[in-house]
Amino acid sequence: MMMRRLFTGLIVVFVIAMGCGAVQAEDTVCITCHSAMEGKYGEPVKLWKGSIHEENGIACNACHGGDPKDAPNAMKKERGFLGAPKYNEVPSFCGRCHVGVLKDYLASGHGRALAAGGPNCVICHGSHQIVKASLELINEKSCSRCHSYERAKLIKAAMQETEGNIVAIDGRISGYKQTGTDVEKMEKELFATRNRFHSLFHNVDVKKVTDESAGIKADLKKIENSLTTLDEQKGRRKLAGAIAVALALVAGLLVHLLRKTYE
Amino acid sequence: MELLKKLYKWIDVRIGAGEIVEKELTGYLLPRNINAWYSLGSVLLFIFALQVVSGILLLIYYVPDADKAFKSVTYIMNDVPFGWLIRMCHAVGSNMMVLVLLLHMLSVLCMGSYKSPREFNWLTGFILLTMVQGISLTGYLLPWSQLSFWATTVATNSANAIPVIGPHLVEFLRGSKMVGPATLGRFFALHVAVIPIGIAAMIGAHLFFLKRTGVSTPPFGRDGTTTPWTGDAYRYEGHPGGIPFFPNYALEDLRSVFIYLALFLAVVFFDPYIFFPRDAFLPANPLVTPAHIKPEWYFLANYQTLKIFPNELIGLSVQGAAMTFLALLPFIDRGRERHPLKRPLFLACAIGGLLLWIGLSVWGHYS
Repeated sequence: MMMRRLFTGLIVVFVIAMGCGAVQAEDTVCITCHSAMEGKYGEPVKLWKGSIHEENGIACNACHGGDPKDAPNAMKKERGFLGAPKYNEVPSFCGRCHVGVLKDYLASGHGRALAAGGPNCVICHGSHQIVKASLELINEKSCSRCHSYERAKLIKAAMQETEGNIVAIDGRISGYKQTGTDVEKMEKELFATRNRFHSLFHNVDVKKVTDESAGIKADLKKIENSLTTLDEQKGRRKLAGAIAVALALVAGLLVHLLRKTYE
Repeated sequence: MELLKKLYKWIDVRIGAGEIVEKELTGYLLPRNINAWYSLGSVLLFIFALQVVSGILLLIYYVPDADKAFKSVTYIMNDVPFGWLIRMCHAVGSNMMVLVLLLHMLSVLCMGSYKSPREFNWLTGFILLTMVQGISLTGYLLPWSQLSFWATTVATNSANAIPVIGPHLVEFLRGSKMVGPATLGRFFALHVAVIPIGIAAMIGAHLFFLKRTGVSTPPFGRDGTTTPWTGDAYRYEGHPGGIPFFPNYALEDLRSVFIYLALFLAVVFFDPYIFFPRDAFLPANPLVTPAHIKPEWYFLANYQTLKIFPNELIGLSVQGAAMTFLALLPFIDRGRERHPLKRPLFLACAIGGLLLWIGLSVWGHYS
């Protein structure tokens, strides 16, 4: 059930990302006009630059609607412009893409407290300078704005090792990707596992976090095993290469000596 | 052994094989002071053969379709037995071919071997250089990666600077307004058929001129075997009393080939990725422009030249003028002297030009 929900979420994210790609983020009229503005109208562009959304080509219109190609009509309702959501609408605003995360959030203590003024997404994630979700988001400075850090600290500690594993595996996969190795399956597995793990971020039950982390660690181990197989293959190839280079050099030396005999 | 002798005799009495061996191998005499630089031509022949063989093997699995090209290359790299090795040999080989070709030309320049009566040798060699650059450029697009797509976009776009015909030329090169499936189709045809045939024909012409003119004598050391060309009539520059091509120089050629092979295999097995930036392994995405797309190292100087001039037409014209000057060098430099140290103006220009090219390439890399 969980996996199905995650995959539904992933598909929605990909579909929206593909749709957004139809207009290059930097080319939208939103960016052109707002980047020249001062204060609260120009600030979002500065914050968005360097965000995970910018990195993935998710431009302003992907969240706020409107026509990114037609400046005079870009912000008309008939062109689908939504503007900025009200405080309580933010989770459903973000949840149009982050479907699984929205469900996790609504089920969490934070989500249940929304109507009573509890935190919405932007309180922790920011509204435009959104970075890739990581454990760094759970920190004393941020959590202490609303409540004591004690329980958050315990949850963070329980997740720390797994997060470290995920980051390390991600780095290894990226390394192999840059050598033309087909890592698509591993990337998808890590993506699903990471999302499962990140769904715990919204949970405030320490026991549940600890139990779930064990299952996630097992999945990560499988990916690590695949990477170890690749490491071994790389080692074998280097050994074969060393032998081939040595043979070529020996052959060159023999030919050189033979050539000398004819002088 | 007896059987081989009988077979040889059987062939010899029919086609005069012994006469060919005597004339083209054992009796084909070369200057006594010939050096290892002369073997770079044979190394290049070896590289070209390796490129043809690895290219044919890649063709078995490569699909020249914009929707399938990247996946087919990924399949070759990951699922075809030794596919990664074949692809790496082909990709690294193309870079090495340019490198060795440049070294070959540099040695010819330094030893003055381009001078009369070898204008044709130089011209065919120069055409080969441009063809090798062309085959490398067209091959760059085929993996249909981000690098392929955007490097080709930038490269074809530079033709826009040509007045009047520029935009039409860009569209002709691409087969459409933008780089797309039509571009892949025509670049594929150029890469696997048109240019290889052209290169093979030009290699034939280059060797023909070499055979008809005779091997030039190096300006270093004493040879004393040359019958020099005087310009009054056709005369083959023979080297009576010189060393036979076979087995002597053939072994020198073979030694150079093995040394090259060791270097080539070291790159292929240990770090072929010096020729592959990160974007080389991401599928082409016409909607996402990578931050720093750079051409291959041998086009970096051209790339930087286009950037330093206020408009691209001037940049293109400067490059065109430099290439024309180089192509026509044997007709411009008419002096008989071939020793580089006795040609100070030439040496200064050659070193200056080389440093400029290296400087522009480094600048292009870091710009």
